[in-house]
Amino acid sequence: MRTAGVASVTLDADDWPRGINFEMRRLADEGVTEIVVTNPRSRHNLGVGQTDPRVTIRFRGSTGYYCGGLNAGTDIVVEHNTGWGVGEAMSAGTIQIHGNSVIGTGASMRGGTLIIRGSAGPRTGAGMKGGTMIIEGNAGYSTGFMAHAGHIIVLGNAGESLADSLWLGNIYVAGEIRSLGNDAIVVEPDEAQDAEVHALLRGAGIDGRFTFKKVQSAQKLWYFDNRNPEAWLKI
Amino acid sequence: MCGICGIQRPEPGPIGRNLVDMCQAMRHRGYDSTGFALYGEHDTSRLILRLRLLDAGALQSTLDALEGSFRERGLSLAGDPSWDDARDAPDRFVRMLVTPGDADVRAVVRAIDDVAGVQVQSIGHSLEIVKDLGDAETVNARHGVERFVGTHGLGHVRLTTESIVDVAYGHPFWAEPFADVSIVHNGQLTNYYRFRRILQQEGYRFHTTNDSELIAVYLADRMSKGITLWDALRTSVYELDGCFAYLFATPDALGSAKDMFAIKSLIVTTVDDGVRLMATEEQALRRVYEGEVETDVPEPKSVYVWDSGGGVRMEIV
Repeated sequence: MRTAGVASVTLDADDWPRGINFEMRRLADEGVTEIVVTNPRSRHNLGVGQTDPRVTIRFRGSTGYYCGGLNAGTDIVVEHNTGWGVGEAMSAGTIQIHGNSVIGTGASMRGGTLIIRGSAGPRTGAGMKGGTMIIEGNAGYSTGFMAHAGHIIVLGNAGESLADSLWLGNIYVAGEIRSLGNDAIVVEPDEAQDAEVHALLRGAGIDGRFTFKKVQSAQKLWYFDNRNPEAWLKI
Repeated sequence: MCGICGIQRPEPGPIGRNLVDMCQAMRHRGYDSTGFALYGEHDTSRLILRLRLLDAGALQSTLDALEGSFRERGLSLAGDPSWDDARDAPDRFVRMLVTPGDADVRAVVRAIDDVAGVQVQSIGHSLEIVKDLGDAETVNARHGVERFVGTHGLGHVRLTTESIVDVAYGHPFWAEPFADVSIVHNGQLTNYYRFRRILQQEGYRFHTTNDSELIAVYLADRMSKGITLWDALRTSVYELDGCFAYLFATPDALGSAKDMFAIKSLIVTTVDDGVRLMATEEQALRRVYEGEVETDVPEPKSVYVWDSGGGVRMEIV
């Protein structure tokens, strides 16, 4: 198929039992700026390994596991829900999900922006090492588990064991926190942090003022303290 | 891995075709064996036997022996038995109808026990379990699962972890000697031997050493003692140890339970015409209902019961 000079190309996922991600890369290389994927039907591994920052990929429906995983620059839009591990280990680009996501959303992500317009499931942002995640709904249990860096912003409520064993990640919650994980504490964000979070939200098209609780590491687990072994035994 | 699925229709429909489609969508989760628990018309005047005869060459003599054994116990066949016609297969899968009269399921099982080389897949007034090696379309090609019309059913694709690759060890499991109960399980139980020992002391017999068979007998035993399906499922969340998402079926309800950490996926939904669908992966649901679906992802420790009248009950216990 000759696609040079064509701005938008539609791929029917029903026609691509294999190789659709390679086809997306090929189209991006040829200069296509928008790829619309119809009939994703919750299939797995759609949009994995995309790298081109000039292209936008739109999924017209729900995707399955690992959608947009390893994304290194592409803009990805999912118009409905996603399965496990959406945006896992992404390093650049944006992923916008207009529905809900489930377990392991943005796990181990290193950069870029992940926006969930609905709610996210358990272990969201586990092992996160950079980038920004914005959840307009609620976040499931063990969100931010062992996050090293980056921002997780939750406009709804957070589930149990939020920010367990957190390192240097920043977690902001506007709603209620059901419970905190080991070594996590709630502080009030200072003015600069508050401004930074609201700027990130405006970048995602979310205006309005929110009052956030900032969850950060109490740093008790950073170094072994032989006077307080109980804290370690809880891990 | 393993994958499970379930369907419940307000009116009888092509559940066989639906379950084959759902299982085939989850083929990558395991194709050691695939099985289906299918619920058709409930008729207490006869029992449907689904049997596996280990030696296809001895088909006629085994059928004659079964009929003789039934007659000795006052049981009679209702109509002619039917079986699959797979060429070169070492075994035969037989469907028989038996008029039990005053006899119970135990008596039927004892009659079958007297004949060598026969495995029971299920016995029930409406339940028929079909399970065999291979993926869903392979099993369908041999057993014609797609022709089955009924109200509800379960499906399972198996990646063997706890025991061996064998037809009898595939899911769904029936619970001897209870008519019409079946289970599919995704996960592993770590304390199954404990309950199994207790149940064996009470006289129950297990057909395999598979951990999942325990759940079927465990729940059916509790229900026979007057505990409701709802309460039996709730208790199982705390009594069973390991990781599990399972679906349990009776003639008039489906139920599910998940363990405390819920790492095993389960997705449930109701689509436009009141059809309830449950599956390990959302893409399986989409094989039955092509449009976008609003799904629920059950939380840890959640229990569901979907009854055939249309009621749904859910609780995190």
